[in-house]
Amino acid sequence: MQLIREIAFLLHKELTLELRQKYALGGILLYVLATVYVVYISFVKVDPANWNTLFWIIILFASVNAVARSFLQEHSGRQLYYYTLANPIAVLVAKILYNFLLLLLLSVLTLGAYSVVAGYLIRQPVPFLWAVLLGSLGFSIALTFVSAIASKASNASTLMAILSLPLLIPILATVIRLAKASFIPKAGVMIPIKSDLYILAGIDMLLLGAALILFSFLWRD
Amino acid sequence: MKNCATFGPHMIRMSKRIFLLAFLLTTTLFRGMAQTAPGDDFMRSMGKMYVVVTAIGIIFLGIVIFLIYLDRKLTKLENQTKHND
Amino acid sequence: MIIKHGWKLLGVVILIYTFIVGLLVPLKSGILEVSPQSVQPGRNISFRVLGYNTHYLSGEIRAWLKMDEEYTLASSQILIQNDRELKVIFGIPRFLPTADKVQDFTLLLDNEVDGAHLLPSAVFVTQDSINPAMGRLEWPPERITDLHEKEGITFPFRNILAETIRNTYFHVPMWFAMIFLFLGAVFYSGRYLRSKRSVDDFRAFTMIRVGVLFGIMGLLTGAVWAKNTWGAYWSGDIKQNMTAICLLIYMAYFVLRQAYEDPDQRARIASVYALFAFAAMIPLLFVIPRLTDSLHPGNGGNPALGGEDLDNTMRMVFYPAIIGWFLLGLWMAQLSFRIERLKERLLENED
Repeated sequence: MQLIREIAFLLHKELTLELRQKYALGGILLYVLATVYVVYISFVKVDPANWNTLFWIIILFASVNAVARSFLQEHSGRQLYYYTLANPIAVLVAKILYNFLLLLLLSVLTLGAYSVVAGYLIRQPVPFLWAVLLGSLGFSIALTFVSAIASKASNASTLMAILSLPLLIPILATVIRLAKASFIPKAGVMIPIKSDLYILAGIDMLLLGAALILFSFLWRD
Repeated sequence: MKNCATFGPHMIRMSKRIFLLAFLLTTTLFRGMAQTAPGDDFMRSMGKMYVVVTAIGIIFLGIVIFLIYLDRKLTKLENQTKHND
Repeated sequence: MIIKHGWKLLGVVILIYTFIVGLLVPLKSGILEVSPQSVQPGRNISFRVLGYNTHYLSGEIRAWLKMDEEYTLASSQILIQNDRELKVIFGIPRFLPTADKVQDFTLLLDNEVDGAHLLPSAVFVTQDSINPAMGRLEWPPERITDLHEKEGITFPFRNILAETIRNTYFHVPMWFAMIFLFLGAVFYSGRYLRSKRSVDDFRAFTMIRVGVLFGIMGLLTGAVWAKNTWGAYWSGDIKQNMTAICLLIYMAYFVLRQAYEDPDQRARIASVYALFAFAAMIPLLFVIPRLTDSLHPGNGGNPALGGEDLDNTMRMVFYPAIIGWFLLGLWMAQLSFRIERLKERLLENED
């Protein structure tokens, strides 16, 4: 109970901080718009298979940029303050939840902007929804943890990209395959998505478990 | 007697392969230089045996590169100890 | 002394065994090529057959074209050219006992020395007028009996693999050794986080170093093998991709180590990353490849190691080969580890 209250408090803190400094959110929004427009200019007409792949690649890079700030941008003094007050697990879970919400928002924004310029090609929303949900969760867990790993290095943001991109490839590959089911024209025909869903949920759980166990070794400094 | 009859050709093939192994690198080098056509025909001769030879060569090279790497590290350490003395 | 160094000796002895047996045991007899490959029914056709490791001059040869368990056609005449070449003449009836337009046949040869050997889908017969009922009449029931077995220890012959089947003892164990070394690194990383002794971190670090080397050697040997069997160095096969990603993840580990100056902080963060990276790799190595189509055996519905690609004779070399290469890898990692430890001691003395 104590843990949940701590998580809720920390999550609330993250959200208020984020809303106070509006340029951060605005920056991500601008990043998404710029990337989508670059994609539009380079491709002009996109068929469903490329639509899907490009969408997730935009999300991938936007996520790395968005989450990178979660541990990198905090003053070490303030960090120390939290850590003396709260349970490390609560700190990590709050960050993961916050980044999860951020990535969901990011996905919605990207989907909107992307649909405007490249067309809305989704025929069956259910697999795509699952892909966005579980994919954002997986990205958020992996990226939050990696940003904690990279945060104390001198060239943290480069390190963050090097460390996280290969780690995200399994999630990305599964998500793209899962989302493919959304581009089948007939609404009646469902291609089986169960195994991909299980794999994705399994990867998320695995990463979450590893992150929770290992985080307590990271923050003590 | 029958055993002998079946074993004879195997022996010839075996000695052929020992020869092959012994001249593993030199043969590859020489044939590679002599041949102007793409290497496929050569790689696929003798039942594609040279594919195995190349694989073993790659592993051998990998281990040698590792040895060179260790050697350089050790040299550095040795130089450091000399400074200390 | 013996216990301390015995495992290195064991590794070397096993590898010597692997090299000797793996390279010297001959392949079974097989058929390399049959021409023409595509024929029409209703005439006598002479096929040129190229054998591999065959001894056609030594004894009576029999030949069949086999459609399925029921329908088989014996050759009408066999002309022996030399030990590795035959001219086999089949009188193919006017109609085939099938409603398909194109039917593939397995060529089966048998003699006393080489034993029975065959080439699946060796000949394709294209029939213009289809009449299965007539076909069944024209194909007399034929029984294949008294097939011989090749004597002695042999490895199986696969048409596109030929001698490269021996790469099973050199290419495949690279991957296994890599995984075992990474597992060792996981063990020592975990131990470091408990003990905080720098030697544990060095052990993990050097094991990853050798593991990555083995991974690269596995990729390169695989590329050469793939070029000469599948036709391209890089076919984008799932296992190639997964190994490449795996190597990227562990190369990032080296970059991470470089990024931290303080030895304790570096060791702690590197250990945490090694554990997290391995967790992230589990689906990459063990789940996703099994669900995707692959050219490798053991994936996407192909029979796993076993079945026809790995027979009992090969197992007797393959399993020891894995242990041998792994022990060699451990030895290499240990040498590297001892150098790292020495370096640390020297630095301590300087201070």
